[in-house]
Amino acid sequence: MNYFVQRLAFSILSLFVLVVITFLLSHVVPGDSAIVAAGPNAGAEKIAAVRQQMGLDKSLLTQFGLYAGKLLSGDLGTSWFTHQPILDDLKRELPPSLELVVVAMTINLLVSLPLGLLTARYNGTRFDDIVRVIAMAGAGLPIFWTAILLQQSFAAEWRIFPVAGRLGFDNRNFDGATGFYLMDSLFAGRPDIFADAVMHLILPAFALSLLFTAVGVRITRTAMISEFRKDYVLLARAKGAGEVRIMARHVFPNGATPSLTVFGMQFGWMLGATVLVEEIFGRPGIGRYAVKAVTQSDIHAVVAVVLVVGLVFLAANLVVDILLYALSPHKRSGS
Amino acid sequence: MTARAEILGYPKNAVEKMALIIAAVIMLIAIFGGFLAPHDPLLIDFRSKLEAPSWEHLMGKDGSGRDVLSRLLTGAQLTILSTFAVIAVVLVIGCSIGILSTFLGGWADNLLMRIADIWLGFPPLILALGFAAALGASLEAAIWALIFSWWPNYARLSRMITADILSQKYIASASALGVPTWRKVVFYIIPNAFDVLIIQLTLDISAVMLAISGLSFIGVGAQIPAPEWGAMIADGRNFVNTAWWVVAYPGLAIFVTALSFNIIGDMLRRELDPTLRRNT
Amino acid sequence: MTVFKKFTPTASILALSLALPAIALAEPTGVLIIAENETPENLDPANATNSTVNQLLVGVYDALVQFEAGETSVSPQLATEWSVSEDGLTYTFTLRDDVMFHDGTRMTADDVVFTLDRLQAASAAVTNDMGPYGSAKVVDDYTVSLILDAPFGPFISALSRIYIVSKAQVEPHMSDDNARGWLAVNEAGSGPYAVANYKPTEIVSLIASENYWGGWEGDHVAEVVFRYIGEPSTQLALLKAGEVHIAPDITVQDKLALMGTDGFTVDVGAAATPLYFQINTESDGPAGDLEFRRMLAQTFDRQLHLDFVLQGMGSLPDGPLPPNWAGHAPGTELGFDLEAAKAMVDENGWGDVTLSVRYLPAIEEEQAAVEQLQSNLAQLGITVEAEGMTWPAQAATVQNLETTSDINMIYNFPSFPDPHAILNTSFNSQNAGHNGGYNWAQYSNPEVDALLNEAASSSDQAKRAALYAKAQQLIGADYPVITVSLPGSVVAMSSAVKGYTYNVAHHQTFNYMDISVD
Repeated sequence: MNYFVQRLAFSILSLFVLVVITFLLSHVVPGDSAIVAAGPNAGAEKIAAVRQQMGLDKSLLTQFGLYAGKLLSGDLGTSWFTHQPILDDLKRELPPSLELVVVAMTINLLVSLPLGLLTARYNGTRFDDIVRVIAMAGAGLPIFWTAILLQQSFAAEWRIFPVAGRLGFDNRNFDGATGFYLMDSLFAGRPDIFADAVMHLILPAFALSLLFTAVGVRITRTAMISEFRKDYVLLARAKGAGEVRIMARHVFPNGATPSLTVFGMQFGWMLGATVLVEEIFGRPGIGRYAVKAVTQSDIHAVVAVVLVVGLVFLAANLVVDILLYALSPHKRSGS
Repeated sequence: MTARAEILGYPKNAVEKMALIIAAVIMLIAIFGGFLAPHDPLLIDFRSKLEAPSWEHLMGKDGSGRDVLSRLLTGAQLTILSTFAVIAVVLVIGCSIGILSTFLGGWADNLLMRIADIWLGFPPLILALGFAAALGASLEAAIWALIFSWWPNYARLSRMITADILSQKYIASASALGVPTWRKVVFYIIPNAFDVLIIQLTLDISAVMLAISGLSFIGVGAQIPAPEWGAMIADGRNFVNTAWWVVAYPGLAIFVTALSFNIIGDMLRRELDPTLRRNT
Repeated sequence: MTVFKKFTPTASILALSLALPAIALAEPTGVLIIAENETPENLDPANATNSTVNQLLVGVYDALVQFEAGETSVSPQLATEWSVSEDGLTYTFTLRDDVMFHDGTRMTADDVVFTLDRLQAASAAVTNDMGPYGSAKVVDDYTVSLILDAPFGPFISALSRIYIVSKAQVEPHMSDDNARGWLAVNEAGSGPYAVANYKPTEIVSLIASENYWGGWEGDHVAEVVFRYIGEPSTQLALLKAGEVHIAPDITVQDKLALMGTDGFTVDVGAAATPLYFQINTESDGPAGDLEFRRMLAQTFDRQLHLDFVLQGMGSLPDGPLPPNWAGHAPGTELGFDLEAAKAMVDENGWGDVTLSVRYLPAIEEEQAAVEQLQSNLAQLGITVEAEGMTWPAQAATVQNLETTSDINMIYNFPSFPDPHAILNTSFNSQNAGHNGGYNWAQYSNPEVDALLNEAASSSDQAKRAALYAKAQQLIGADYPVITVSLPGSVVAMSSAVKGYTYNVAHHQTFNYMDISVD
């Protein structure tokens, strides 16, 4: 337990450092949100007045102090453009992105783990070579490139999947409690909306996951190969245990653990990459929100996004750590 | 180092041989591309914009009437060089921090590595936008943003390797003999780390290249009229329907380059990483 | 978030329609779906200068006077008539007595005064164009006076962006942010449509208001839905699939292709939104030299830009003002003559000069214009370095003379069709970049200022036209600007959309209150 406390403490410290750096960065930026907020033809006087209202005229240290104070009480500040608490903005924008990432990660795991296992088992065969080349090819495709291609073919041309959005037109007024439409639709007893949401998620999730899955397959394969070489496998085979049993009961669980670390990090990276897919598929999300915040120099919103993505990354890694600890109590990562 | 000469003996099949050849060709194009271009890559001619491929213009023309092939050849320099710039700087900074961290040991080591862990989660796209707003959108901004985001990879990797090496018996003997730290680093750590690092490096080439094109897509990156491959795709993405060649060829270029380096990286890993030696 | 009932025919309307068949009181039916690439920040009428906010509010709120789509002068809306005092300082408006807000309360002069007071207190952007506006006063329930500190010719036109809110609904939320927080996500309007669903990054829907005081003559839609889609190719795919009716942000090529396609219409509205290269007249480098600027003024081919970048969808500019506006003076800018420019470069030894240009890369037209300039000047030996920026970043750089680049690209989106909105905004030294305004050439000419100020304070239209003409001539002689284009407002839509007309006073909005869908 001491290990986790230490880990947590360091992580919080690092997060703090991250926030400081982002805050500084956004203030060094020459973009002037007061000008945007004041509107056209405002005149120097009015811009100065608006700047004062926004608190931008105080010293950097003071501004950061005020911000950090509010942060500790859970107040992420108010967006100067939506005039809403940024926390509310994030509550609206984070679920769609998280939903997308969860589905993409699911695709990733469902493909990477079995393929990694099988290619490791049949290491050196044609099958292994083919999968490896496909994986390397997949790792060479830019995400937005894939997204455009998928959209133009499967959606626009062949009309198999919807072109854009989270839900179809008929369901446009659906409002869930959590913002995660997959869950909300089930809670509300609307399997039709669930299906609609899934249809809208397939293409974007696939585009997002392709790159990460390609990498995932190879990471898993490497880990599984090491497992297959271990003595206990030889022993089990010598004892006459079935191949499937060996793979399922021993190699897979043991081999999956090291790759878990990478999958945990991929979760965070995927969240950072959602903007590419959100733009193309017209979905709301934290990526689009972040881009808008930066283009408007909405400082607090930018810092908030970095904080939240960092937190998600942290959480994913912590979950992985706990899983690793649980799966292999005799090993402790990092000691 | 010996690896460079041996590399020619590594390819085990046609695919790997192809990859080496393609990578070599691309490196050559990156250096000499400008001279090979049949047309001026920057000459605008709105009258002939989005012209389909022809004998005169093998890859057609883009949205401003410029020859796609010429831009592809000239742009190789930008794309490849920026990729290598990022990797080179990240290698130096990351490894310095990693090696330093190992030598510091204790809580400082822990702290640095935790910071590196958290830093990995920093969304590079957001950072790039921030740099773009601060420095003005440019290829330089994109490169800085990627350097800023990528160093933790190498910090962690080099720390792992350094820690591993330092725990070997021969290091203890060296310390007993009074070998100074810097000699240890230069003569023991770096040569032994080289193999692992070079594998990571070649695999990162494709990742960085894709990252640069992703940044161009959202507006950070090479400025007009520079023919960086990612920027070419970003520029042409609205014409996917009508003028597929504007996006297809740069996309293909990135894809082929990334794939080749991935295959090479894989090949190097097989040859150089002793833990993966296959049972013959 | 207030929720509004769907429009259902009430008994009274049914009775009316039976009793008076001559009056075509048609119940609004159908849905209009509009794609938009930029998400709105909020619903606050204080921010109606922002086109993505304005496009939502233009049918949700009413103003005292308004520009109808297709018109270049105002018509009465909430006010039935108005008069100006002798000294030009007091405007008295008679208000309609039958206007109901969406919550059922009646509009009175109190609401007008409250709206204006609130906008002043909140330093709202929409007040920037009201000139020397001072205060408002209730005269009686349906009469209100607006008092200026000095006469201001275009005052009435500026009122078209002042949307009247319901005092009863907004006042309880004033607290310490002047109701900005509340009005950001709620509305308190009296217009034909009400906001039903506000999910600003995804979808906003408006529903026809049952008790709209103007009644529902003719064909109208019952619901208007805005879908926020950033990518042009996605908008095109949705338009072709029939999932949106209007796709304003597709590429020029695609618009051209749709023009000849069955099932689609492309409307080219005569817009008055000039695109400028503003040249830094205060630069220490060559751009600060009048002769150099005269050379530059001949290096851009506007016809080429119109023909091949805008594909003919726009008009050829002749100076900074749209040619068909009162007060336009012809021939104040030099034409394209690269030979003459080359001669000047050789004569003055300007080869090897490097200039910096800042622009917004997201705008296709701006990028193409910069590319053309780069290409043309390269032939003269002059290098042009382009720097793509975000709006706030670019605006921040011109606040300081040292950080202003040699050339800045900027549109002028006049809030109302009056030369003041263009010439004063872009060329009065009061509005220079370093004074916080949009005169990014940092242009300062006291004679021009005097002419512009005089024209602003007069209500004699003939006199104003003459003054503006003179101002343009003086401006032209200083070469602070190259007018790149007058792009048309080109909107691609399904041919099922009937009744769309471009509104020159509300650029980048749609007159959805006049539209019906087959």
